Parts: sequence; C-alpha cells; structure tokens
Amino acid sequence: MIPRAVKTDSPGFGHRHSERRRRRSTAALAGVVLTLLILPLGVLALFSVTRAYFYPQLAPDDWNLRAWRLLLHPGSEVWGAMATTVFVGLAVVAVALVLAVPAGRALGRHSFRAKRLVEFLLLAPLLAPPLVVAMGLDFAFLRLQLTNRLWGVVLVHLVPTVPYAVLVMSGVFANYDQASEDQARTLGAGRLDAFRYVTLPAIAPGLVVAGVLVLIVSWSQYILTLLIGGGQVVTLPILLFATSSGGDTALTSALALITIAPVLALLLLTSRHVSRMPAAQIGLP
Amino acid sequence: MLVAVACSPISGDGDAADPADWDGVVSNSRGQQLNLFMWGGSSEINRFVDNVYGPRLEAEFGIHLNRIPVADTVDAVNKVLSEIQAGRRRGGAVDLIWINGENFQTLRQADALLADWSRRLPNARFVDWDAPEVGLDFGLPVAGFESPLGSAQFQFVYDSARFGPEELPRSYAGLLQWVEMHPGRFTYPAPPDFHGNRFIKQAFYELTGGFERWLGGFDSAGYAESSPALWDYLQELEPHLWRKGTSYPPSLAELNRLFANGEIDFTFTQLPAGIEADVAAGILPATSRPFVFDTGTIGDSHYLAIPANAAHPEAAMVMANLVLEPELQAAKLAPANGWGDGLGISLSLLDDDSRRRIEAVLDDLGELALEPALLESVRLPEVAAEYTVALERDWQQYVRR
Repeated sequence: MIPRAVKTDSPGFGHRHSERRRRRSTAALAGVVLTLLILPLGVLALFSVTRAYFYPQLAPDDWNLRAWRLLLHPGSEVWGAMATTVFVGLAVVAVALVLAVPAGRALGRHSFRAKRLVEFLLLAPLLAPPLVVAMGLDFAFLRLQLTNRLWGVVLVHLVPTVPYAVLVMSGVFANYDQASEDQARTLGAGRLDAFRYVTLPAIAPGLVVAGVLVLIVSWSQYILTLLIGGGQVVTLPILLFATSSGGDTALTSALALITIAPVLALLLLTSRHVSRMPAAQIGLP
Repeated sequence: MLVAVACSPISGDGDAADPADWDGVVSNSRGQQLNLFMWGGSSEINRFVDNVYGPRLEAEFGIHLNRIPVADTVDAVNKVLSEIQAGRRRGGAVDLIWINGENFQTLRQADALLADWSRRLPNARFVDWDAPEVGLDFGLPVAGFESPLGSAQFQFVYDSARFGPEELPRSYAGLLQWVEMHPGRFTYPAPPDFHGNRFIKQAFYELTGGFERWLGGFDSAGYAESSPALWDYLQELEPHLWRKGTSYPPSLAELNRLFANGEIDFTFTQLPAGIEADVAAGILPATSRPFVFDTGTIGDSHYLAIPANAAHPEAAMVMANLVLEPELQAAKLAPANGWGDGLGISLSLLDDDSRRRIEAVLDDLGELALEPALLESVRLPEVAAEYTVALERDWQQYVRR
C-alpha cells in the first residue's frame, strides 16, 4: 500500500519515510489482527462442512452440509434459541441503558462523597468469579420465584452488563457539555424537550457503544442463563455447550458460527460509531 | 371454579398422580408441557427423542415434550435440590430426568424423588424388576422411584485398520503389557467422567478378585484393604499413557477425538447395539470395531425419574410408560434410527410379535456391534454408588495427585 498523499507540512524526506513506515506497520498490524480474528472462523467453517476429517488426512474427503441442514431445517431448535437470545439481549439493552443514563450522568458530571465506593460497588459483579455470583443469585431468585422464566434471565443478565453500560455512559457524560442543555432550558425548552432534542443526540454515539457492549455480554452468557433459566430458557450458548459436550465437531462448529454471526454483523454495522468514540470518552484506559 | 383451579395441572400436585388410576393420569396429563432434562451431548439421541417420542406424546396424549439439554445430568440434579432447599415443594422446573447411579442416589438421599409409581405403570409388565441389572441401580433398589429407559454395557473400541482382533488386550493385566509395548497409545477419561469411573471400577473388580465380594452394601474396611492394588496398577500404567499420564482427557467426546485422529488406539462406547450411529455422524472412523475383555465389562440400566416437586408428574408418567412400548424399544435399539441403546424391557415378558420384532433388530446388527450373546456372557454388575464416590476421590489423590 502506497500512501496517496503526504501531509503538506512534512518537513522533508525523513519524515515522509517515517510516515510511510508507520502506515505500513499499521496495515501490517491490521492484517495480523484480521487474520487472528478470521482464521479461527475459517477453521470452524471448514469443520462444519466435513465429516470424519481426521489426522493425518491433508484434505477432508467427505464434504457435506449435514450439520447445516440439521441446524437450519425449519423444525430445528436453533430458531427458538435465536429468538430467545435476541429477545433477552434487546430487553437487557433497553433496561441497562435506562439505568445507565442517569447513573452515568451522576458519576460523570457530579462529584459526591463516597463516589469511589459507588464506582467500586458497581464494578464488583465483574470482579467476583461469575460462578460464585451465579450460585448466590440462583438461591435468591428461587426464593423470589424468578427462576425458569425469561424475565428472570433478563434480570440476571443485568448483573454483568449494567456495570459496563454505566462505565461507558459516565465517560460520555464526563465529556458532555452541560452548557448546551442549559441554553435550551434558557430558551424555554422543558426538561423532557431538552433531553430529547439536546442531550439525546449528543450522547447517541455513546448509547450505541454501550448498547452494543451490553448486547455482546448478554449474548455470550452461559452459566447465569443455565442456573436462573433452569435450562428452560434455551439461548444459543446453552445449545452450544450441550452440543459441544457430545463431540460432533461438524455440528458444534456450525452452531458456533451461527452463534457468532449476529454479533459479528452487529459489530460491523456499528463499527463506525464505536471507532469514532475516542477511547478516553468511553471510560477505557 | 375452585375445583377447576385445584385440579389444574399447573398446581403440580404430586400426590394426585396415581398410576393405578391410569385413565385419570392420562386425562390429567392432557395439555401439560413435559420438561424432560437430559444430557444433550448426542445429536443423534436428541433427534431420536424429539422425532420419535415428541410426536407420539403430542398426537396421542396432547402432551408437549420440552426436551431440555444439559451438559451434565448433575446440573438437573442440582436444580431439583436447590429448588427443594429454597422451599419450592411443588411446581418445580424438572418433570422428568434421564438418570442413574450416583445422581439417583443423591436424589434418593435428599428424598427428592416421587415414590411408588414406576412398578405400577401399565407397561411395567414388560420389565424384569427382579433382574439385578434392572432392579438395582448401582446397588440401590429402584423400588418404584425410577422406571427403566434402556441398558448399556461398557465396550472398548479399536481401529481394525491398525490392529487385528488377536493383537488386542483381553484383560486389565493384558492391557498393562499392551501399553508397555505401545507407549503413549492409550488413555482414559479422568474420573469423575462416567466412562473414566467405569474404566477404573472394572479394573478394581479384576484386581481385587472379582465383583462378587463388592455386592451388597459399601464395605469400607474391605475397600480400604483392597483398593491399593488398583492405585498400584494405575500408577504402573501411567508412564505409558498418552502424554505420559501428565494429563487425561476430560470426557468421552475428547477420547473419541484423540482416537479418531490417531493419537491413541482405543476409545470406549456404552451402546449395546454398537457404534454405527457414531460412525455415521463422523465421530469415529468407519474401520472402528468394538471389543470387550474376557474378564468382563460392566453393564447396567438407565432410567427415568420424577422429582417429588415436579409440576407435571402425570405427563412424566405417560412418557415413562410410553418409552417401554416394545415397538419403541425396538426402534431405540436399531442403530439406523440413530441410537442403538440396549433394551429396558425383557424379551421373555413380551408376546411373540414384539419379541420377533426385537430379535430381527438384534440379528441385523453388523460388524460395528458385538454379538448380544457375547456381551451377555461377559456382563458384570454395578455395585453400590459409594464405591464410585470413593474411587473418584481416591483417584484424585493417588493417580492425579
């Protein structure tokens, strides 16, 4: 790749060279990252269409779509699991964002006593081992009759997702200019209108980032879904774990790809928003 | 109105279900959703349950079968136990579990299973309850708490492209010599994996002079005195194992993968009708063949049990009864249908038609299965579940270290 333009303020060849070198190394790095991301998916794709592909065969001699046919036929349990995973994910995103906007605003804009403590408590569920959290919550949820239900699963997914959402939103609000909102109020906008026409557009990219993050975390939950859902709320990871314990490589690979695909598509669609947000603004180091 | 509410199947009143009043059970079960928790690792078995039992339950009884896949049966057991611990005495999530062995013992000890139903099912007449391999689950009397689904027997699997049958070890003593000649070519799943447990328990039988003395209750003094012979044996085996025994595969799925990729020479199976389904699914190479030791391999039954707090015990009973239909037992036995599971019923208790139908399936088994008579002749019984627990624990201490 040859850089097409060189900055006009470049003081000479030396700089131009280093610029080119930097771009080259960026391209190389991107290549490595892409390879590391795509290569495992390629392996999964290969395994999903072969049968009895064993060492030391160089190439598989039996190509077929058995696994895909099994998983994608109209009566397959994959469809129900996909619908459940999407529903749970969207519900979790909605609730997490509703909680994260005021919480993020409070943490990002105001300083108050014990703020550090509140921040720590918010992150606590992420620091404790998930299984420990899950076992304790299972007992509490049983008592409250929240197990084996979709809403119980939505509720329990808030535990590992809300901290991320709040973290992102507090970063957004830390860089948010309160003045424009005040201006709108001065010009006669009500609280709701000010939020709708001024605040919301300003924080929208942050909301997208937080939403995507929450959806990905919810999408990949296994142990919380298994315990609280009691096996009756069957999401894609639940199917995937049960399938992988059986050792049918083709089936497991195809199901893994089906599980990853929607998240990957979402990431590609929203990558514009995610990459536009400076790291500092989304509260990451 | 009150009566309607009281009789509603959703109330999950376990006491109301009495198999003696079978018509009552069947009519109460109509419209229920049956939550069947079972190990979900085999797509062939899953499909059999969904495509054979599911439509029959729906069409004949109006029961909706909801098969819930778990990665390990113990997940379902823990579910029941935590529900009961949290005080949910009825309306539980689990209606029926595919179960045996220590999981059965755990639920029995917690008094968490519905009692006195299985022997009173209409199709219980096909079950030989007095046969120890049916009436005893790991030495514990089934006694109305479980109804058989099928039977299994441990077998080794080798690749006929690599060895002839005359080169195979035929006892644990022979296996030790074999691994010394073929270093790194054998391993077994680490207990508490079911197959790993079974592998070391069979060694325990052989090295302590046979299973007979371990029948009956747990003999802790005898175990303490005799078990060191097993640990000596397994320690002697270890340096010759795959990766010199520094790690053991965690599951049969992993053992199968190592075998199929030619890293080791033997894997295991539990299916009396052989490995045809695994070959068809591409899990095992087509040249794989089962074999057994002359010193015997363990055979046992697996069952369906209903938790005491099940929300839909009637539907659970209907299914436990349905799977004993001779015609469905024959279908389950036929590897072409994807399973190849052993019978849960006894041929001698069937009418001629049903018996012939099953014998036709048995006669039709190819070289991917062993002769039923051979399996029968080397079959060893299970013993009390306490031995499994002790062996699991001591294996961690003396072999895994």
